[in-house]
Amino acid sequence: MDLYVAAFGFGLVGMSVIAIAAVGFTMQFGITNMINLAYGEVMISSAYVAYYLNKAGISIWFGMVAGALFGAMFSFLLNRIVYAPFLRKGTAPIGMVIVSLAVSLMIANLLLPIVGYYSVSYQDTTGGLLRAGGIVLTTNQIAIIGVAVVLMLLIHGLLRYTRLGKAMRATAANPTLARNCGIPTQRVIDAVWLITGALCGLAGVVAAMNSDSFAIANGAGFLITALAAAVLGGAGQPYGAMIGAVIIGMVTELSAAAWSPEYKEVVAFGILVLVMVLRPQGLLAKRGALAAAG
Amino acid sequence: MKFQTAARNRWSGLLAIPAAALLVVAACGGSSNTGGGLGSGGLLVGVIAPFTGADAGLGPAYYAACLAAAPAINNNGGVGGRQVKCQQFDTRGEPADAVPAANQMIASNSNLMAAVGCTSDEAAAVAPIMDRAHLPMFCMTGQSEFNKSTLKYFHRLVPADVYDAFAMVGSALYGPNHSPYKKAALVFGDDIGSQAFVDPATKAFTHLGGTIAINQPIHLNAASYRTEVAAMLKTNPDVILTEALGSAGTYLKEVKTQNGGKMIPFIGSSATIDPVWFQQVRDAIGIDDLLKYYAGVDLGYTFSGPAYAEFLTNLNAAAAQFADAPKYKQRGSTLHLYDGIIMTALAMVATNTADRTVYNPKIIEIANGSSSATVVNTYKDGVAAIKAGKTIRFVGAGGQNNFDQYNNSQSGYILVSYDKDGNEVQAGQLTPDQTSKLIAAGS
Repeated sequence: MDLYVAAFGFGLVGMSVIAIAAVGFTMQFGITNMINLAYGEVMISSAYVAYYLNKAGISIWFGMVAGALFGAMFSFLLNRIVYAPFLRKGTAPIGMVIVSLAVSLMIANLLLPIVGYYSVSYQDTTGGLLRAGGIVLTTNQIAIIGVAVVLMLLIHGLLRYTRLGKAMRATAANPTLARNCGIPTQRVIDAVWLITGALCGLAGVVAAMNSDSFAIANGAGFLITALAAAVLGGAGQPYGAMIGAVIIGMVTELSAAAWSPEYKEVVAFGILVLVMVLRPQGLLAKRGALAAAG
Repeated sequence: MKFQTAARNRWSGLLAIPAAALLVVAACGGSSNTGGGLGSGGLLVGVIAPFTGADAGLGPAYYAACLAAAPAINNNGGVGGRQVKCQQFDTRGEPADAVPAANQMIASNSNLMAAVGCTSDEAAAVAPIMDRAHLPMFCMTGQSEFNKSTLKYFHRLVPADVYDAFAMVGSALYGPNHSPYKKAALVFGDDIGSQAFVDPATKAFTHLGGTIAINQPIHLNAASYRTEVAAMLKTNPDVILTEALGSAGTYLKEVKTQNGGKMIPFIGSSATIDPVWFQQVRDAIGIDDLLKYYAGVDLGYTFSGPAYAEFLTNLNAAAAQFADAPKYKQRGSTLHLYDGIIMTALAMVATNTADRTVYNPKIIEIANGSSSATVVNTYKDGVAAIKAGKTIRFVGAGGQNNFDQYNNSQSGYILVSYDKDGNEVQAGQLTPDQTSKLIAAGS
């Protein structure tokens, strides 16, 4: 029983990391209609930005902010320089997926000679160990959970209570109509790439902290987990992505406790497949992209 | 039901032309030179190994071997004047990627003299392809399916994983500076190569009085191993036997964290004698704990003598092309593959041909030698002896080779640790009696 309680605690950390990544990914898709397969590589690039700062003696928490800023700028430029010109030429959605896949491979291969193929670790990111009722977490893992909760609340506030959030939802629902209603959709889309890019960068640093050591090859794994949570919750649905993150994060850890750990991802993705069979639109997609859950 | 259309028929016809051309090229490219003489133009050594993916740390060690071997040959007249070059062919550690990489390597390079690399990740998939192309290969796989390989062009300069597993158990039971460990956790990657250790290690350890606390196959490159580590710690092992390449830092740091900042002794396979592994684990758990709690096993290298001196000089010089090359100065696989390439070049010189079907059998003759053979340690000395009409035995940077009828070369193990700079330090040696006991218990 102790192991399940411990696994539940670890699941809280895992789902927090996944939630940050998945919400960014799904918002990017929901508003810009772009399935950005380079998302994982932007995450790992941001993780390396934080790594080099951390190596230079800067606290990882500042590194996290730097990673978020880098992710924001990188994503913004990626859209402006690569994706937007293709979209203007009328490239079909499947074509855009291939473009993003190509970008992903290019980033990975450009990074490889710079950062090397080997794993690296942040310094002093463990923190003290806290035990409570069978749950064993480090102070930094608790901080990661806190960061995720705050970010989810901020995303909720942004989408529900701000003009930008309403403009985002309008752009997601019908960009032409939104433009005709006077919403500067191009600026909204720029803002979306900046915000989701920041989430992506921050998620990369948090995921790297969570892993204790990371390498360039982890980018693909980051993407798959974020993609799975986003699809499980309903593509384009931030609240759905949060629920997807909870399910995947928890199932992954609890199944590792229950069965052989080599099958933990098989179980999590098995549930994803099952949900897709029973509810192909995802858990919260009934109201359309970026509609509030409820 | 027919889906064939006129357009598809046209495409099929068009595709048939390059396909037929490829078949012709492949048929003709089975050997780099079917006539006598060493020919002209450059020669290529294909380094077919993972350079990306979970096992991306393996390929560079083999590439470094080739970069060191090439000048050893080229600076001494080349192979009959032909200069040797090295090229990477990335398998990504996946058979699905390795097969096209091998096919592409063979189809587009008629000047291949040998291939090196082919780890356990992909050897089963690519070795038959290279064998069909009559390409001598030196594979760094420990898989037992190659223990009695019938592939004529396959060569293995390292023992099978089963012996590595026995040596790890030997370290646990007879290693220096600790009383025999009684309860072991087996933490190996869930890939084919790593899992090859589990069965022999379990048999040897349990038959010699130990208990396996937990056998934990872990998925390499997972985001975390918290639950796995919690489950492992619950079984209270007194030692961890591991080859979790690529994930060792993540797993071991989690062990330290959840165990209240204290490590558990861990014994690594010979693959953990690797600068990248050392750096990862050092960064994850700290140098003090790495030095205190780590023990490893390795083949008995001397890291000295004329062959090693030349290897080291060339490896350091290779930094101009590959900055990390000098890091592999004590990596067993780097030494062995360096030797493999030199032996291949000597076999070509000895047979005076670039025909792979002719010089391939000569490689083993040069490696094993005969009672009357002149022992040489460098390519230069080997060529001189051959030109003087002598038969030679090449004893290279990795030491003596003794190929059996299955093209497997075996040698004994030593027990090792690291110093603070990541250099291998011999900590002990298994006696012949201990080795026999381990093999009997584990087989």
